[in-house]
Amino acid sequence: MAPIIKVENLHKHFKVARHRRGFLGAFRGLVSREYETVRAVDGISFEIGRGELVGYIGPNGAGKSTTIKILAGLLVPTGGTVIVNGRVPWRERKSHVATIGAVFGQRTTLWWDLPVIESLELLQYVYDVPPERFRRNLAEFREMLELDQFLETPVRSLSLGQRMRADLCAAMLHDPMLLFLDEPTIGLDVVAKERIRQFIRRINRERGTTIILTTHDLSDVEKLCERVMIIDHGRLLFDGELSELRNRFGGEREMVVYFDQEYDEVAVDGAEVVSRNGKRVTYRFDGHEITASELIGRISARHRIRDLSVREADIEDLVRKIYEGRLLEAPDAG
Amino acid sequence: MRRTIDIYLRLISVQIRSQMQYRASFLMSLSATALITFLGFGSLAMVFWRFDNIGGWTLWEVGFLYGMVEAAFGTMDLFFSGFNPHIFSRLIRMGTLDQILLRPLSVTLQVLGSSFIMKRLSRISQGALIFVISVAMLDVHWTPAKVAYLPLVFFGLMCFFGGFFVIGSTLTFWTVQPIEVVNIFTYGGREMIAYPMHIYERWMRDFFTYIVPAIFLNYYPALYFLEKPDPFGMPDFAPFLAPVVGVGMLVASFAFWSYGIRHYQSTAT
Amino acid sequence: MSRFARRIRLFVELSRVSFRRQLAYRTANLAGLATNTFFGLLRAAVMVALYGARQEVVGMSVRDAITYTGITQAVIAYLSVFGWTELMDTVYTGDISSDLLKPMDYFTFWMARDLGRALASMLMRGLTVMLIYALVFDITVPVGAWQWAALLASLLMGWLVSFSWRFLVNLAAFWTPNALGISRLIFATSWLMSGFMMPLRFFPDWFVGICYLTPFPAMINTVVEVYVGVLDAQGVITALAAQAMWAAGLIWVSQVVLRAGIRKLVIQGG
Repeated sequence: MAPIIKVENLHKHFKVARHRRGFLGAFRGLVSREYETVRAVDGISFEIGRGELVGYIGPNGAGKSTTIKILAGLLVPTGGTVIVNGRVPWRERKSHVATIGAVFGQRTTLWWDLPVIESLELLQYVYDVPPERFRRNLAEFREMLELDQFLETPVRSLSLGQRMRADLCAAMLHDPMLLFLDEPTIGLDVVAKERIRQFIRRINRERGTTIILTTHDLSDVEKLCERVMIIDHGRLLFDGELSELRNRFGGEREMVVYFDQEYDEVAVDGAEVVSRNGKRVTYRFDGHEITASELIGRISARHRIRDLSVREADIEDLVRKIYEGRLLEAPDAG
Repeated sequence: MRRTIDIYLRLISVQIRSQMQYRASFLMSLSATALITFLGFGSLAMVFWRFDNIGGWTLWEVGFLYGMVEAAFGTMDLFFSGFNPHIFSRLIRMGTLDQILLRPLSVTLQVLGSSFIMKRLSRISQGALIFVISVAMLDVHWTPAKVAYLPLVFFGLMCFFGGFFVIGSTLTFWTVQPIEVVNIFTYGGREMIAYPMHIYERWMRDFFTYIVPAIFLNYYPALYFLEKPDPFGMPDFAPFLAPVVGVGMLVASFAFWSYGIRHYQSTAT
Repeated sequence: MSRFARRIRLFVELSRVSFRRQLAYRTANLAGLATNTFFGLLRAAVMVALYGARQEVVGMSVRDAITYTGITQAVIAYLSVFGWTELMDTVYTGDISSDLLKPMDYFTFWMARDLGRALASMLMRGLTVMLIYALVFDITVPVGAWQWAALLASLLMGWLVSFSWRFLVNLAAFWTPNALGISRLIFATSWLMSGFMMPLRFFPDWFVGICYLTPFPAMINTVVEVYVGVLDAQGVITALAAQAMWAAGLIWVSQVVLRAGIRKLVIQGG
């Protein structure tokens, strides 16, 4: 099946005015300006198939939201080709945005002073949703997102979590094939996060909506996405399955050992002592070189072990290491 | 087209309902605005007994100009609330413009529907009141042509000032903050053409004739309605340029607006 | 150092900071200056057209009338004629609580800041407008040290009346959520009754009588009359005394109202 999104060699450069200092500088700035070029997106290519749920992650200023804005038709790129749903997003903005939904973090698409239900009804007309379909969708989302308790409340009085749920409903009313979620769980507590995640999972599975999710919270990605794209400095550092990310970069593991007594010398071959606190010693080892049982064998040959635990490097660590460039030189993008 | 109008009315009704939620503050600003509008002409009227004319025009002749421009500007200010540079620049700063671009509707339509400041009504009614009283006191020699032309002048004035709002808003695509100097053209222009143009220095009048042709929107039509001689010897069609100049201004400003949106779509971060 | 000297130093320091901050708004100052000047030119043209062939109206020559339009445009920023709501904003945002905790009298705290802002505005916008007027028109200039001294005193007193009045109006925010609307209404009233729209002496006597029952003429009209010299020595002294009385009265009333407001704030917990 043809991919729903096809991006080739995408570039977006911004010109940023350099500020001159002082009074004279400000005056000269009015007449002529010096510009610096910032490459927010610097040659990215990827495809996304129908029904995928992709996590798109990267540090602040990495180029995430620039990419999303281009895909959503808000921004015109400097170079490269983008086809979404057979359209070039920014050329056919109106027909394009009619087929997508988007929730941008802390900004709401709803009308501030209106009760939620009236905002949703207004969106029915904005997107020209047939009444029958509107009723069906609304009924379904009301139940899934538990909207009933605040349907009559003006948007300005909603909590952050409630507003996010209302916004998700608003983004899905017109049955978009593609949904962009920019930081959908930011600032929410654990329960609210979980509710949002369940909704995302369900619409992806039951409706086959393709979803692209940017987030700071990597547990969103771990719990929802099979595929992860990592971007930094405008380049794609990784694009693949979550399990592959773990395999390739998750070789490093940690073992915490509690000894029977304090030993003077605890070092062993094949592992590095990361920290030591009385009888508690933490080793780090590379899973590709030595297995956990081999390591246990080597340690117990010299000392008495009372207890131990092995910890997989979590995805947060992995990603941090990738950003820091410790684990890989940026491969050819794509 | 019908869908466009339907959506527009729905968007506007949201704005009206939101403002009605704050009834006390709404009534308060309504009366404040009414007072402010009254003050301009009222203070002139209150000192007129000491002077009896302004550049050869009577109080009611000035009232004709004053009421017309106040009512037309107020109506423009109501319908173009979303294009008021101060209000529009907030749409950019708050990211609301991105939400607008995400909806399958014309951006212009949505900006027009994003704000509808009801307290302008008091400005409109005050202007209309001054105009009606002035006309009643003046004993204007009405002909069918004059009656037919009056709404066109009103429309021309609205378009003309609307154009400045659109230009002022478009500039904020580059500057983010509204450019205060635009106020000289909008609020300054309104104040200026509320008085007969021949009272101003030559250079000011020339500026508002050839660079910003505001003189054709109020002064020349008034010469025609009040059957006064033209002190500057313009061609005979000069009084009838109001709708042309107004619409021309609006069309040009919307061309600049589309250019601005394209610029926004290639720079917004 | 005595307690009094310390308070004076704090006052000066606050004013200085706010003076500097006001000067730093370069583009805003420039835009304000352009707008004030443009409207001044408009109003001067209206005055000239009103006068026509007349040389003098109630003691004011055409030259005085043109100068009058310059003065009113020059004090717009100095006296925040179009409105000042900074204090009520802090009531609504809740920032007021930290200001109330400062080891300084609340009224003096705002007064010091407003003085700095006013002086900077006078420098950047007031004097500049008058300078432009002097270049474009033949304007009236006060004569002699005595009249200059009276003008300075009147300007300072005008600011004191204007500030304590604005302070008082802002206190409405302690009692009502609609203080902004109320203040708009009051500021608009002050334009007419302070002599900002037209010199008060042009108005019918009965109306001028009403105006002088309010503090508004002490803000602008007195400054204008002292400047253009339409008052005799006796008149100037009376006018300055009236300004001083209004200033003292308003400061006293705002203290009383402020205490009541703070009590209300404390009882309701903000």
